[in-house]
Amino acid sequence: MNNLKLVGSKNKKRTIIKIDNLEVGKDLIVIAGPCSVESEEQTMITAQKVKEAGAHMLRGGAFKPRTSPYAFQGLGIKGLRILEKAKQVTGLPIVTEVLDPRDVSWVCEFADVLQIGTRNMQNFSLLKEVGKVNKPVLLKRGMYSTIVEWLGSAEYIMNEGNANVILCERGIRTFETYTRNTLDLSAVPAIKELTHLPVIVDPSHATGKPSLIEPMCLAALASGADGLTVEVHHNPAEALSDKDQALTPKEFTLLMKKIKKLHTFMGTLNY
Amino acid sequence: MSLDDIKKKLDKIDFQILKLLNTRMELDLKSNKIGKHLEDSQLTADVIEKIRIQSGALITPQFCEKLFKDIISESKKLPSKGYQLIGFQGDHGAYSEVASRIWNKNLIPIPCNEFTEVFSSVTSGLFDFGIVPVENTLGGIVSQVNQLILNADLYVIGAIELSIHHCLLGLPGADHRELRVVYSHYQALEQCHHFLLRNKLEPVPYYDTAGAAKMLAEKAPKAAAVVASNLCAELYNLEIIKENIEDFNQNKTRFLVFAKQENKAAGSKCSIIFSTEHKAGTLFRVLEVFASKGLNLTRIESIPNQLGSFVFFLDFEGSKNDENVVKALEEVKKITTKFRLMGFYDECKEE
Repeated sequence: MNNLKLVGSKNKKRTIIKIDNLEVGKDLIVIAGPCSVESEEQTMITAQKVKEAGAHMLRGGAFKPRTSPYAFQGLGIKGLRILEKAKQVTGLPIVTEVLDPRDVSWVCEFADVLQIGTRNMQNFSLLKEVGKVNKPVLLKRGMYSTIVEWLGSAEYIMNEGNANVILCERGIRTFETYTRNTLDLSAVPAIKELTHLPVIVDPSHATGKPSLIEPMCLAALASGADGLTVEVHHNPAEALSDKDQALTPKEFTLLMKKIKKLHTFMGTLNY
Repeated sequence: MSLDDIKKKLDKIDFQILKLLNTRMELDLKSNKIGKHLEDSQLTADVIEKIRIQSGALITPQFCEKLFKDIISESKKLPSKGYQLIGFQGDHGAYSEVASRIWNKNLIPIPCNEFTEVFSSVTSGLFDFGIVPVENTLGGIVSQVNQLILNADLYVIGAIELSIHHCLLGLPGADHRELRVVYSHYQALEQCHHFLLRNKLEPVPYYDTAGAAKMLAEKAPKAAAVVASNLCAELYNLEIIKENIEDFNQNKTRFLVFAKQENKAAGSKCSIIFSTEHKAGTLFRVLEVFASKGLNLTRIESIPNQLGSFVFFLDFEGSKNDENVVKALEEVKKITTKFRLMGFYDECKEE
């Protein structure tokens, strides 16, 4: 823990990150939206639906890290322009992934939160680059990383001057194959013990199964997570990526109702 | 050369053909306005003869003849369509053209090299209207234009206040990671200073924003982008990389529309030009008239006329039908040495 000078919780107040009118680390934050920005129509419809359901931020990938070079790679700058338009219409702040150090300044022009994906958690040149900008960073846990390695990556970002890091547990690789990954919910209270940073949970990538997303969302909140990120597509069957794990807007609306109820209940428990 | 490269080149050529056809039509419109109709039959014969000589294996004389007959017959239809022309300074896509489209999208905007050409062409009847910028929130007054307004015998018939939003434009399919330099008018570059700095782009001054867009489309310099209006993206087949790249969102330009005849409508604003005797309190007396009648002034500008003497430009809110306004103007006429009513008009604002 000696190497976590900035990330460590010792003698530090819990970090609260302001994004437009939201306070991450204090308010409950639900980030929702499609895996990829596929078209203006798809993004705008989904954005409107998640806004109506009560989501706080919009997610959507313009630069996509895909296992195969032949899979849809994202719309790039065009995708970022669509996200910008979706923000103009819905008012939802934008969370989007950055893959390449050369893209960092460009993504900052369009997005409110820069996401570092699981595969790039230890891409140190990228971490240093996002450490230099003044936008909050959503740092996903590497699918092969320990909690301490993950926090080491957060330390890289903070060491460059960017204090606004949000951690995101998204499941790790185990011998289990029924689920896409294994959601490590014990990481949430562990992060709260070890650091002062906010932590959210991504049950979509962790489980890869729509039927498991709702229970894991609720479990994540019960474990003390500051928020959730959920994949929603207006027509999951036609999604260009991650179509098996996207919720429909209807499913997401129901989920939001339960999330709000549980959040209120958690408030009565804790304090 | 790959199939993709060929397709890109074809797209570019098609676009150039369209642009050239448009320029040709604009020239035809101008010749119609001058009233000296070019001898059509002669022109046709001349042109076709030249083309015959220059045609090659791929372009047969028959094809050429058909193509040019089509173009010329389309040109001949222009006068019957009753198009009205509006002149502006700059290349197509200039912010003046953006403003002209807001004022009246049915007019045909014609580019001019100089502001003086805009005024002289409206005076000569070549254009029905002229549109020029008169003031900008960041850059101040356009002094060159004010001098020309003073000397032109034209009426103001409209005004537009336009918020200037700059875009970063690139060639279609250009990779943002490879951009290094950005061409534009120095003022536009200055207004996007922080954006360029953040993205490590080097500003390169060019004579005009729209001119830079045109140059990018035609010459395709390596690693280059431009700062220009979003209209330029449409006109020059460029891709918008980022909209609203200006550092401050306070950049507004006011344009005036001029014509030979006075505005028929009563309007809601009025512009006048006057000068007063070089004595204490003469300008005050003029302003006093407006104050006592409760008329709100929106602009007052002093323009040097001769050494030590000034002419005043004054805009206020008021309609031709308002008796209060008519009386105020009569009073002002009596206490000024020179007085010209520039016109009553409506002003539109566009965010």
